[in-house]
Amino acid sequence: MITLEQKKFQEIEKMTKGYNPLLVLGCETCAAMSFAGGQRQVAELASAIRVARKTTEQKGEVLEDAVARQCEPEFVDLIADKVGGCDAVLSIACGAGVQLLAERFQDKVILPGCNTTFLGVTEELGVWSERCAGCGNCILDKTAGLCPIARCSKQLLNGPCGGSMNGKCEISKEVDCVWQLIIDRLTRLNRLEMLEEIFPVKDWSPAGHGGPRKMVREDLKS
Amino acid sequence: MIQKEIKMAESKVGAVMVVGGGIGGIQAALDLASSGYYVYLVERSAAIGGRMSQLDKTFPTNDCAMCILGPKLVECGRHINIELLTLSEVDSISGEEGDFEVKVIQYPRYVDMNKCIACGICAEKCPRKVDNEYNARLGKRKAIYLKYPQAIPLKYAIDDRSCIYFRKGKCKACEKFCPADAIDFEDKSRELTIRVGSIVLSHGFATFDPATRDIYGYSRYPNIVTSLEFERILSASGPSGGHLIRSLDNKEPKKIAWLQCVGSRDLHTETKSYCSSVCCTYAIKQAITAKEHSHEPLDTAIFYIDMRTCGKDFEQYYNRARDEIGVRFVKSRITNILPADETGNLLIRYTDEVGNRVEEDFDMVVLSVGFVVPESSIDLAKKIGIELDPYNFASTSSFEPVQTSRPGVYVCGVFEAPKDIPDTVAQASAAAAGASAALAEVRGTRIKTREYPPERNVSKEPIRIGVFVCHCGINIGGVVNVPEIAEYAGTLPYVDYAEGHLFTCSEDTQAMMKEVIIERQLNRVVVASCTPRTHEPLFRETCREAGINPYLFMMANIRDQCTWVHMHKPEEATAKCRDLIRMAVARAAMLEPLYEIPQPICQEGLVVGGGVAGMTAALGLAEQGFKTHLVEKKKRLGGHALRLHTTWREEKVQPYVEWLVKKVNEHPLINVHLQTEIKDVSGSVGNFVSTLVDAEGKNTEVRHGAAIIASGGDSYKPKEYLYGEDANILLSLELDQQVMQDPEKLKRVNTAVFIQCVGSREPGRPYCSKVCCTHSIHSALTLKELNPAMDIYILYRDIRTYGEREDIYREARAKGIRFVRYDRDDKPRVKKTDGKLRVTVKDQAIGMSVQIDTDIITLASAIVPPAESDILSRAFKVPVNQDGFFMEAHAKLRPVEFASAGIFLCGLAHGPKAIDEAISQAKATVSKACTILSRKKIFAGGDVARVDETKCILCLTCVRTCPYEGPRVDEEEGVVTIDAVACQGCGNCASACPRGAIIAGHNTDEQYIAETNALYKL
Repeated sequence: MITLEQKKFQEIEKMTKGYNPLLVLGCETCAAMSFAGGQRQVAELASAIRVARKTTEQKGEVLEDAVARQCEPEFVDLIADKVGGCDAVLSIACGAGVQLLAERFQDKVILPGCNTTFLGVTEELGVWSERCAGCGNCILDKTAGLCPIARCSKQLLNGPCGGSMNGKCEISKEVDCVWQLIIDRLTRLNRLEMLEEIFPVKDWSPAGHGGPRKMVREDLKS
Repeated sequence: MIQKEIKMAESKVGAVMVVGGGIGGIQAALDLASSGYYVYLVERSAAIGGRMSQLDKTFPTNDCAMCILGPKLVECGRHINIELLTLSEVDSISGEEGDFEVKVIQYPRYVDMNKCIACGICAEKCPRKVDNEYNARLGKRKAIYLKYPQAIPLKYAIDDRSCIYFRKGKCKACEKFCPADAIDFEDKSRELTIRVGSIVLSHGFATFDPATRDIYGYSRYPNIVTSLEFERILSASGPSGGHLIRSLDNKEPKKIAWLQCVGSRDLHTETKSYCSSVCCTYAIKQAITAKEHSHEPLDTAIFYIDMRTCGKDFEQYYNRARDEIGVRFVKSRITNILPADETGNLLIRYTDEVGNRVEEDFDMVVLSVGFVVPESSIDLAKKIGIELDPYNFASTSSFEPVQTSRPGVYVCGVFEAPKDIPDTVAQASAAAAGASAALAEVRGTRIKTREYPPERNVSKEPIRIGVFVCHCGINIGGVVNVPEIAEYAGTLPYVDYAEGHLFTCSEDTQAMMKEVIIERQLNRVVVASCTPRTHEPLFRETCREAGINPYLFMMANIRDQCTWVHMHKPEEATAKCRDLIRMAVARAAMLEPLYEIPQPICQEGLVVGGGVAGMTAALGLAEQGFKTHLVEKKKRLGGHALRLHTTWREEKVQPYVEWLVKKVNEHPLINVHLQTEIKDVSGSVGNFVSTLVDAEGKNTEVRHGAAIIASGGDSYKPKEYLYGEDANILLSLELDQQVMQDPEKLKRVNTAVFIQCVGSREPGRPYCSKVCCTHSIHSALTLKELNPAMDIYILYRDIRTYGEREDIYREARAKGIRFVRYDRDDKPRVKKTDGKLRVTVKDQAIGMSVQIDTDIITLASAIVPPAESDILSRAFKVPVNQDGFFMEAHAKLRPVEFASAGIFLCGLAHGPKAIDEAISQAKATVSKACTILSRKKIFAGGDVARVDETKCILCLTCVRTCPYEGPRVDEEEGVVTIDAVACQGCGNCASACPRGAIIAGHNTDEQYIAETNALYKL
């Protein structure tokens, strides 16, 4: 999933100042699952803005809504009327959702209420961690199912480096050295010989280093 | 030997008498009443609750004793099949198992229980003050009294030994002022004759009275208190309102000492030589709690002989108290206390660890008094003809720990042997299982059920709310203006009826309430009175009797949360009452009827583990008439008991295990699955489906309504002390094998060494394995018998021969077995040179190293959880604790249940314990499982959570949040559904769901919003 976290309230308050009415718009997929932009967070954030406006004697109505996915034009268009009646939309979806809103509603102010953090997994309720960097060229078959692009601080392909100490990365005792994990797992799988294969220099163009990415499936296009 | 052919009555009675209304008696009564038997609960005092009701906190969780006991008291008081006989004593028992006739003497209360509404005016007006036994005589009560504020039954009683009217012939102030006309000075003793099928004795205990042989000056120095008195000092309902002060000068103490083993482990006259088992841990609890109470840093010191924290999680509690909370532990038995100065401080002299003589002043000294069997219990035992052991505890055997010498009479709690609350609760359930086993065929013949009229469909009716405001005598009416409040309630939206009543809970008002509901076609009811904790069930019942859904009822607590706390501010309190009622009415308007739907139950059991605990459980279920699957991963039944020689009481284990295996194999209702493991479990209470996989990998599905996990433990295989490198270095069980197979060889041993705590009480495995001290000492005595000239050394850290096991410790010392105390950080070392074994140990008593050349070494190795606990934990979705043992729902009051309904645990799977305790627990799980299996159906639903499927995005938050495994992924529909049977209505899922897709029945967002909007008049 894409993980998100809500921006600090002071930042949101400052950003939304003066817009009347303001629409707080949630997204019911990744944002909801990150506890950052679901219907409940919409209600909480809208209430917080109302309270803040009331206590600082500012005027301005705050509306609430949420769509299934802000990254799909069909869902976004469902709320066109409501958006039309507003000064600005505070989107608490990922960056993709915010931008699609800006595209669909050309003359509206669209504001981001969340920071998009990473592509990751839920470790347990309330704990998420990064697993995929979206590099466009998956090598997990060669690294025991553990990604050094997303999880090695240096994105090394032929690790570990000299900073690996007792299974931890030199940047912090909290961070596992993924190369240590790769070696441990290959040992368990009895496939340690896989480390003998040296990775050549990585082509980073599918990772976005060749400019903005776009994907076209001719068979699906209408 | 094990089961005599017992003559049984021909016509059995489906009722049981439980004698003693403490936590043990309460638990036994609840179990029995919930599995189809009518129960008479006989209690000598005016209210049930027993000793536990006097305690402040409970170890090792520091839960408030009254908070966890309270709901049980209420349940017991309200149970339709429990008849409370308070102020009553058993006089005689005739008849035989299955059909006893019991004569009970019920002493007069002088207060009509049907009329008393516990307003307290009588006690307020009573001029006679007497010592309050409930407060351990530290405070006063009146001659007419309520035993304690949460007492069940919540009825006053007159103590005729101190009442002025009974002593001098006049007064009757209570009668004059009682608004309910409940006082009856003509009340007389009654003799009741009651027929029951079996009897459970749960008499409890008295505490040792240090004044009887007053070596400490307890009766001379006011700042020496007993531990029970100290409980009351700490308690919020105690004489100082929970304020930790000395009674002498009301000063807050800065230094408190606890002296352990007062009246226990002592051979002097009047004292007891057994260990009382609980005092070490309760002293730790009191020291921790005292530190919490104290406004200034409080110094606490516990003077002990051996710290006996051998119960589940107790050792960790001890470690935390010492290392994190700073409780001091001083190994020294104190024999006298002197006044230190004129201020009431006390002087204690002792010798410290390094041999220095120390003198220390303390502000207070607490005597950790032990248990004694009260004279009344001894008398009763004589009257009904049950045997007592030399200490006057009821005689039982390790294999039948709840069976007295008289068939049909069972025992539990401290009357059987010194024990703590969880062991008492487990034993109480075990006694209930014993008491009901012989009565299975008459189950359900004596119980009462309630009938209700058909329910009115109110969905199309306009909302009509009735508000009943209670004066509660002077409790509410004496502080706020009830008529004015009732008038105000009448002006609120949808309110059709609003009146004040003197006592809303009284029988006549209840009858009137029913009439009003029917007459005015009310469809929502609000009672503004006391707390839903005690009274909601009663009012809901009245709603049902009036033909409306019980969930259309709402309470406003204007007593506990208003008039009691704002007693001196009547105007503000009246305003707050208005707010509370306005909120309740607004919420009532949003209430919806909820229904509980009956679901059929699979009346079969599943037991995992074929050791003694598992076999006992399976046999118990089968004897109660339920088909049972017994799953054992090994090729044969028996478990660890197959390797045990005798118990510490010299009972031979092997004949017992053989008998048990035979019984299990021959029982037609038990289906034994050997070499079989659990692969998967689905479903919930009443209807589980488990997949079993046998040695050939074949899967079998079995259905069952309840499951018992008795998967046992393993013994730790030490890496230390050269284990495995010499045939003469053995584990305790291996020595047992040698005793059984080759005693001749052992006769030739000249020196034997036992090393205790091998792998236990260590960092990484901090718990105590509980059985090893007793096991080693018993083995040492066996060796001494084989060769009286043998030199035997036991190297230990604390000797933990709890309860009557202390006897064999004393015997061992008398027979010349040497005990050498070592330190965890300076362990004994074992060396082997030229085939000879040498142990070097630093003896803490003399501070010097000792070398022992020995022939054999026995290692008392830890009991560890078995590897497959993990698999079981995942399959049944039940938790394990940090040590890897299965974790019960509540350490104190639900010791054999998991939080998930219908799954139970017993034996070593729960934690290290002796065979008698494992059997008690196993029988307890039978009793618990019977409360489910004895029903044909269970009711699911009501105030449970449900998922709005159109909103669910399958984020799994509810699955991860629920403590009861209620939410499940419906893969076909792509949504989560919540199992109404598993759901306990806690609402965690509803508040966590990021989409607000879960509705907690009776606790919806709309209802709370209506309530809060009403508060702010929005």
